[in-house]
Amino acid sequence: MRRFLAIVGREWRAYFFSPLAYVILAAFLLMNGLIFSAIVAFLNNPGAPKGQALTLLFTNTYFWLFNLFVVPIIAMRLFAEERKSGTIEILLTSPVTETVVVLGKWVGALGFFLTLWLPTVAYVLILRAQTPIDFGPVAAGYLAIALLGGYFLSVGTFASTLTKNQIVAAILTFAMLIPIFSAGLLESMVTDPDKRNILNHFNLWDHMDEFSRGVVDTRRLVYYLSTTVFFLFLSTVTLTAKKETP
Amino acid sequence: MIEVESLTKRFATETAVEDVTFSVREGEIVGFLGPNGAGKTTTMRVLTGFLPPTHGTARIAGNDIVTRSREARAALGYLPESAALYPEMRVREFLTYRARLEGVARGEIRRRVDEVVEHCLLSEVAGRKVENLSRGYRQRAALASALVHQPPVLILDEPTVGLDPAQIIKIREMIRELGRDRAVLLSTHILPEVDAVCDRVLIIDRGRIVAEGTPQELRSRLAGSPVLRAAFKGKVTARDALAALPRVTGVEEEAHDGETRVRVECEPGSDLAEEVFHLAVSKGWVLRELARDAVPIEDVFVRLTRHDAPATTPEAPAPDAQEGGGEEEGGAEVEAGGEAEAEP
Repeated sequence: MRRFLAIVGREWRAYFFSPLAYVILAAFLLMNGLIFSAIVAFLNNPGAPKGQALTLLFTNTYFWLFNLFVVPIIAMRLFAEERKSGTIEILLTSPVTETVVVLGKWVGALGFFLTLWLPTVAYVLILRAQTPIDFGPVAAGYLAIALLGGYFLSVGTFASTLTKNQIVAAILTFAMLIPIFSAGLLESMVTDPDKRNILNHFNLWDHMDEFSRGVVDTRRLVYYLSTTVFFLFLSTVTLTAKKETP
Repeated sequence: MIEVESLTKRFATETAVEDVTFSVREGEIVGFLGPNGAGKTTTMRVLTGFLPPTHGTARIAGNDIVTRSREARAALGYLPESAALYPEMRVREFLTYRARLEGVARGEIRRRVDEVVEHCLLSEVAGRKVENLSRGYRQRAALASALVHQPPVLILDEPTVGLDPAQIIKIREMIRELGRDRAVLLSTHILPEVDAVCDRVLIIDRGRIVAEGTPQELRSRLAGSPVLRAAFKGKVTARDALAALPRVTGVEEEAHDGETRVRVECEPGSDLAEEVFHLAVSKGWVLRELARDAVPIEDVFVRLTRHDAPATTPEAPAPDAQEGGGEEEGGAEVEAGGEAEAEP
């Protein structure tokens, strides 16, 4: 456990040593600042359903654009960088299992992802001072962000175990996330109710909508957690197998 | 402390290490010597648990590297070829991280880090970022990080590569000291390093161990004829007189700068230094220099790993098939054979 925490801590801190982290952080704050001003504008409308305003924080086009582009960039360095610099040898020859290494790195990256979201808590508190807020949906929204972030980052972790090149890892992640994300959007193009029903299980946009309205559906939890575990498992497998190539 | 039993490592297309057996005792420094792509790094990677063996096994401090991999890994300190460090971390921070990763008890970490910082002469740079360190300091920081959990077994892949001579001497001293109460396996491409540091040498070629012994043993076992070099004042005709000495097999003579230099080749196992001296006295030659040529370890090495020589392993496939077998990434293994060939 202590070794696991050592890896998590190093991964999380490593982000803040690279300029990329600050670029992401700045872009993210800018985006959320715009969304926040949209929320404020929305609330200024006298007829607005006040409790629902924060839903906007989690369900807008920018939110998705951001996640689809930024997660690959956060995850790309996880293993590719270590493989390139050779530090992977230190990690894999220390008395820790591959699973602990993968989990440690993934949790570290997820920690950074959630750190990005931390400033948005300020928005919630600011709004709280001005208008009544239903904290249930807000908590569900943040839970959804953690689930989605964990899911996307597990895909990114997997891609990063496949290559030495960070850019290739980022592009691979993006290439995997696009179908994962857009599969659910097919729902709106299909009329057959059975097919719609199946596709709805993959409709991330819809899920996020549900969560931000405070609906925590166990089926969604199962979907996010099981796919995350699957990709982390794949990462462990490739990490072990990749060593075989000279 | 390190026991390797008929270890074989095959990659998809090539055999990097074939049926290698050796052991390293506590308090012993063993040098791993071989030309580029001979399988040194691969062997070390298998021993450290980075690569799984194809056949055979090895034990580190009594722990099988396959069945008790974690215990084996906990007992060893590994310095990879690239002296891999995280560039953005400060030295002390990196050592602390490695200590935690290796499982040093929480209360011990500070003390251990202080110890290795002092031991590896890093106190000046302990607060600096790794990326701002010179090559020598980096190498020492990497070595320090391999020692932080006080492993009884050390595996060092080319510990002095890329250092300047003063740094090389420092690192060698450090390794010699470490070897007093540990088992140390080090690979090197600098042949004199073997003489300077190692108690025993393993020469590996095309994935097989072709010779083993102390540097002196290897020399005497594999050396050709002993050679004496002498220099006489002025121009003298020494060739015929020297050639007439018993057990002399050849004489070369060369005069320049007011000196006559001779190279006397003798029969194996003979030492003709005294005879040459007495001859010089009786002839009235002024002897300015008389030296036995130590057979350089390079010669031994080249003799053993020259690929045009009759195959050392009869059942080995044609040399072509094995050329570059087990080639490691980075190509940091300097062509040891090439270096040696510069010797006369």
